[in-house]
Amino acid sequence: MYTLLHGFYKYVIQKDEYCVLILGLDNAGKTTYLEATKTKFTKKYKAMNPSRITTTVGLNIGKIDVDGVRLNFWDLGGQQELQSLWDKYYAECHGVIYIVDSSDRDRISESKETFDRMIGSEHLTGVPLLVLANKQDIPDCMGVHTVKPIFNQNAHLIGARDIMLMATSALTGDGVDEGIRWLVDCIKRNSIERPPRNHDDNL
Amino acid sequence: MGGIFSYFRGLLGAREMRILILGLDGAGKTTILYKLQVGEVVTTIPTIGFNVEQVTYKNLKFQVWDLGGQTSIRPYWRCYYGNTDAIIYVVDSADRDRIGISKDELVHMLREEELANAILVVLANKQDMAGCLTVAEVHQALGLDALRDRTFQIFKTSAVRGEGLDQAMDWLSNALQARK
Repeated sequence: MYTLLHGFYKYVIQKDEYCVLILGLDNAGKTTYLEATKTKFTKKYKAMNPSRITTTVGLNIGKIDVDGVRLNFWDLGGQQELQSLWDKYYAECHGVIYIVDSSDRDRISESKETFDRMIGSEHLTGVPLLVLANKQDIPDCMGVHTVKPIFNQNAHLIGARDIMLMATSALTGDGVDEGIRWLVDCIKRNSIERPPRNHDDNL
Repeated sequence: MGGIFSYFRGLLGAREMRILILGLDGAGKTTILYKLQVGEVVTTIPTIGFNVEQVTYKNLKFQVWDLGGQTSIRPYWRCYYGNTDAIIYVVDSADRDRIGISKDELVHMLREEELANAILVVLANKQDMAGCLTVAEVHQALGLDALRDRTFQIFKTSAVRGEGLDQAMDWLSNALQARK
């Protein structure tokens, strides 16, 4: 009886859980973006002052509830030597947010190469991909029209997955909301391929 | 106006945080504790039992416990796990032979339910030694890529030179404040 009620309770209450990776070169704004996302979707969340965010060497996590599902974020370090650790998370993630520093013209090609290496991984096949041209608050940064063609060059690697490129500013929070909602829709649609992680199974 | 608010918030947020410094023997835990507390490198002997000090860092008060790391006394670490806000896990980056043991102890520790909400800081210590492990190597050797539900950060440190500790404490105090 308990099992039955407990099962019913879970059926009603428990949200599907999905995991989202936040990737990109170092200093692209991944951790700031995570903080902005938490601020947008969590009531009373006190965001860390962006000036106090340091280079990530490790993992930052975040949880938000949106459109009836729960998203778990994994924000990883972006430095060159840490990029080799990304693929450990690929098999378990349901979506990827790739963040580009639109103000850094010198490293845009490096970012593109890293992006290609990432989407070339077989563990990410079919996973929805949100590319964010971040730091749009900086005057003279590259707009979507400049960034998009650069990341569209290797369309064959992208394959049949959902992909979207959007402009954001993690600092001001512009574009955060739209991006997350688009990604959630795609992740839900892709859940036949990648079913939600059921929390009980993992404990 | 915002300044006034944050000032009062600072006063309210002055709860003492409980931090454990753990790691194998000889990793440099006691040196780190006293470097944080008095700002000097003190001569240490292997800790049997524990050292506990109050450390104030940028208006935040920490109660820092440094527990002995020898094989025979590691089982007693768990007696101190309750109410822990953060763990500083110290690794001797020059000790390639024992990094596997260090990993086992860490994995074992992180399974404890009492530590489920504790923030993890890994200090890749002894970076002043030649041929030591890099951050990425420490990350891999400790099996940190298996962590999914815990915020953690690795720092390169050299306790004897005092390098890296400030960054680590900065990050830790921010992470602790953001968590509330």
